[in-house]
Amino acid sequence: MIASRLLRTVDQISYWSGKTFAWLILALTFVVSIEVFKRYILNAPTAWIFDLNNMLYGTLFMMCGAYTLAQAGHVRADFVYIYMKPRGQASLDLILYFLFFIPCMLGLIYAGGGYAADSWRIHEHSTVTAEGPPVYHFKTVIPVAGALVMLQGLAEIVRCLVCLRTGAWPPRLEDVEEIDVIDTQLGHSQYVDEESRRAAMEGAKAIDEAARHRSVMEEGVVHEQAIRDDEKRP
Amino acid sequence: MSDPSLGLVMLSLIVVAIMMGYPTAFTLMGLGMVFGYIAFWVPGAHWYDNRVFDLIAQRTYGVMTNDTLLSVPLFVFMGYIMERAALVDRMFHSVQLAFRRVPASLAVTTLLVCAFWGIASGIVGAVVVLMGVIALRPMLKAGYDIKLASGAITAGGTLGILIPPSVMLIVYAAVAGQSIVKLYAAAMLPGFFLTFLYLVYILGWAIINPKIAPKLPPDQVSP
Repeated sequence: MIASRLLRTVDQISYWSGKTFAWLILALTFVVSIEVFKRYILNAPTAWIFDLNNMLYGTLFMMCGAYTLAQAGHVRADFVYIYMKPRGQASLDLILYFLFFIPCMLGLIYAGGGYAADSWRIHEHSTVTAEGPPVYHFKTVIPVAGALVMLQGLAEIVRCLVCLRTGAWPPRLEDVEEIDVIDTQLGHSQYVDEESRRAAMEGAKAIDEAARHRSVMEEGVVHEQAIRDDEKRP
Repeated sequence: MSDPSLGLVMLSLIVVAIMMGYPTAFTLMGLGMVFGYIAFWVPGAHWYDNRVFDLIAQRTYGVMTNDTLLSVPLFVFMGYIMERAALVDRMFHSVQLAFRRVPASLAVTTLLVCAFWGIASGIVGAVVVLMGVIALRPMLKAGYDIKLASGAITAGGTLGILIPPSVMLIVYAAVAGQSIVKLYAAAMLPGFFLTFLYLVYILGWAIINPKIAPKLPPDQVSP
């Protein structure tokens, strides 16, 4: 019970941070578009935009790491992993969290902290242009992001322990999924009939579910099922 | 252990560790950290006084200020907006109407729509699944060969990573230090030529052996 509440809290922190910083992509889009327009149409470039772009991108990239970990979205070469039972997956993960994850995250927090502190001390400014904008707040992102990923990593370790005890992965928070595109695209479709739309959505869900839990799909070959249904009908 | 042998051990361990299925980012980072720590170990210095820590911070900052990788989130964002715009089925319908007299019209339509999405989004995402949903069933219903039907969808789906703008080329450019514009120019011809070859193959197969792709009945041009 305590474990599940802890997992929920930490997941929510990661979700919140990831979703907040994900808005930077919108800012980045507008900054790039406006600057391209000014630079190439109006012939009036702004010098510090280059640094601003880097800051927006770098912050986005670093701060969404914890969210990705909470979503189990980090890339895995899972061609062996998917054939393991959840307990096997959890024990492998647990060992490697201690072997790889914790040392490198501690290193990142420690090293990034020193790096950012140095930058604050000298009030470092960007050297891309003559009067670049300050970069110390940008460098502070490194230890902060490291700490967030570390926190989520500890939650993942708890998750592994729960899985080792119960034999099933504890649930993650619900969120939008990439496969929701199918619903969006087919929801108001005029050319796909009701039944194949439903079959498609269910099939897509099954595929996504299998991918999310890193397991082999046993069934869910939707189209064959749909065709068999079609054949059964007179 | 000398530095070259340390590097070789790390390289072989990377392959093994990635195969195990742990997230690649943390595998690479952890191995780099451990081996860097050993390689930069100076006897007599404090344990926390190791040059690998400086390298971690500097490389992280280097990636954060990489102006080539900057375009990846922008491209992904664009692709998502295109995906969410719910255009695929209408587009499939209209392209199919345009090509309804061509042999194997559904397979040709699938390929063309996939190629267009390759131009538009540059990522292989849910659109391939969606094409499978929208195109596979009509094709099988019309009596297409299942090899042709599924082949057209999967082959078309992977065009997105080759036809510019593709995210794969951006990442390659950032890693290899090449010019993105040159890479795009280089990928332009192969991407479209591959699409063309797929089309030739489908059309040729359908003309030689019309049984694999029966013509749609005239009253049923819509999927």
